[in-house]
Amino acid sequence: MSFQVMMQQLGSGLLRSIHIFALTLLFSLPLGLLVSFGRMSKNRIIRSIVWIYISVMRGTPLMLQLLAVYFGPFYIGGLKLGTMWRFTAIIIAFSVNYAAYFAEIYRSGIESMPPGQYEAARILGYSRTSTFFRIILPQVIKRILPSVTNEVITLVKDTSLAFSLAYAEMFTIAKQIAAKETSFMPFLAAALFYYVFNAIVAFGMERIEKSLNYYT
Amino acid sequence: MKKILAGVLCTAMAASLLGMSSFADETEAAGNGLAEDGKFVVGFDAEYPPYGYMDDNGDYTGFDLELAAAVCDLEGWELVARPIDWDSKDMELGSGNIDCIWNGFTMNGREDSYTFSVPYVDNSQVIVTAEDTGIASLDDLAGKIVGVQADSAALSLLEDGGDQADLGATFGELQQFGDYNTAFAELQAGSLDAVAIDIGVANYQIAGREGYVILDEYLNSEQYAVGFKLGNDALCGIINADLATLLENGTFDEIAAKYEDMGIPADMLCLAESLGVEAETEADA
Repeated sequence: MSFQVMMQQLGSGLLRSIHIFALTLLFSLPLGLLVSFGRMSKNRIIRSIVWIYISVMRGTPLMLQLLAVYFGPFYIGGLKLGTMWRFTAIIIAFSVNYAAYFAEIYRSGIESMPPGQYEAARILGYSRTSTFFRIILPQVIKRILPSVTNEVITLVKDTSLAFSLAYAEMFTIAKQIAAKETSFMPFLAAALFYYVFNAIVAFGMERIEKSLNYYT
Repeated sequence: MKKILAGVLCTAMAASLLGMSSFADETEAAGNGLAEDGKFVVGFDAEYPPYGYMDDNGDYTGFDLELAAAVCDLEGWELVARPIDWDSKDMELGSGNIDCIWNGFTMNGREDSYTFSVPYVDNSQVIVTAEDTGIASLDDLAGKIVGVQADSAALSLLEDGGDQADLGATFGELQQFGDYNTAFAELQAGSLDAVAIDIGVANYQIAGREGYVILDEYLNSEQYAVGFKLGNDALCGIINADLATLLENGTFDEIAAKYEDMGIPADMLCLAESLGVEAETEADA
C-alpha cells in the first residue's frame, strides 16, 4: 500500500472520528448543564435519579454502554435495527456518557460561585434566570474551561471505541492497514493524526480561555 | 467567543446532515433470507488477511470477499462488506445487522450455533514459532507461553473441552491477544514462545516477516464455511447453489489462483469435494 493511499484512508477515518467528536460535543455540553441542574435540584427524587444516572455512566465502561444502546432495542425490546441506528446509537451513547462527566464539571463551577453574588444580583433586581445566565454562567464557563478541555481531548481519543459497533473510525483503519502490511508503521501515522488533531483542539480551547480572560 | 461557538455549531450541524444523508430506509425482509432485500451484508474481520483485509487501494478485499462478490454478481445483489469487531460477531449476526460471517470461519465445533454453507477450504490450526527458540514439536511446547487470538478456533481447540485440551494443559500459559500484529511483535520480543494460528493466516504472516517457522505437526484439521444465523436455511441454500455454480464455471478456481501465493495453496481448497464433484469423476472412471 502506497504512503498516499494510507494517508487517504487514515484521513477518511479521521473524518469519521471528527463526525462522532463534533456531534457528541454538540449534544453532551447542553445536556450536561441540564444534568447538573438535576444533580443540584432541591427535589430529592430528581436529585437521586440524576445521582444514579451519573454513577452508572461513570462507573461502567463506555464500550459496554455502546453495545447496550445499540443492541438493547433488539435483544430487550425485539425491535428491528435500521441501518441508520448504528451511527445514531454511537452518538446517543457518547453524548449520554459525556454529559455525565460534563455535569459534574458544571456543578463544580456553579457551586464555587460565592453566595454574595446571588444576593447582590437580587438586590439589583435580577430575576433568578437572568442572574444565572448573565452573571453566574459566564464566570462558571471561565472557571471550568481547563477541565472541559481535558474531557474534550479525552473524547477525541475515545472515538476509537466506536469500532465495537463496527464503525470504521481512524484507529480501526490503522489496525486494518497494519494487519495487511504486517507492520506497526500505520500506528505511528495514526498517533500523529491524533496528536495534531488534539493540538488543534487544545490551541482552540486556549484561545477561548484567553478571550474570556477579560478581568485580569 | 460567540463567533467561535457559532462556528463550532455550524460545523457540527453540517456534519450531522452529512451523516443523515447516508441513512437508508429499511425495507421488508424477503423470502431469500436477507435482512434487507438486494443487499448482501457480509461481516468480516478486516485484520484477517488473506481472507478479508484492506488492499493497496484502501478497498476491502480477500479470498472470501471476492467469493462473496462473485455470489452477488450471480444474484444481482449489492455486496456490503462490513468490517466487524470479532468479539461482537454473534450480536451482529443475531440482530440481523449482517447476513453472514464469511471470513475464514471455522465450522467445526460451531455447528450448533450457526447454519453453515458447504465447506470450501480445508484449514489446519498450526503452531508458529521464531526460528531460534528450539521448539520443534508439540511436546516442546510444555511449559511455554503460547498465544492465541481471542474467540478464535485455535482457542476453543486448546481450552478445556477442546480436542487439544490435553496439549493446552501442558502449556505454561495460554495467552489471548487481539490481533496478529501484536502477537508477532510479542513473538519477536520474546514475551510469547509460540502462536497457535490458522495455517492460511500463518502463511500470509510469515511471508511478510523474517525468521518464523510453522511446526510440521498440526494441531488439527478443520474446515471453513460461511456462517449464517441459525435457521436461515433460505439464504444458506442460495449461497450453496451459487458456490456450486462458481465452481462449475471456473470462477472459484480463478479467484483461488490469485491467493495461491498469499497463503491459500490449491491443496487447501475443498469445495469440489464437499459438493461431491470429485465423487462423480470417480464414478466415471
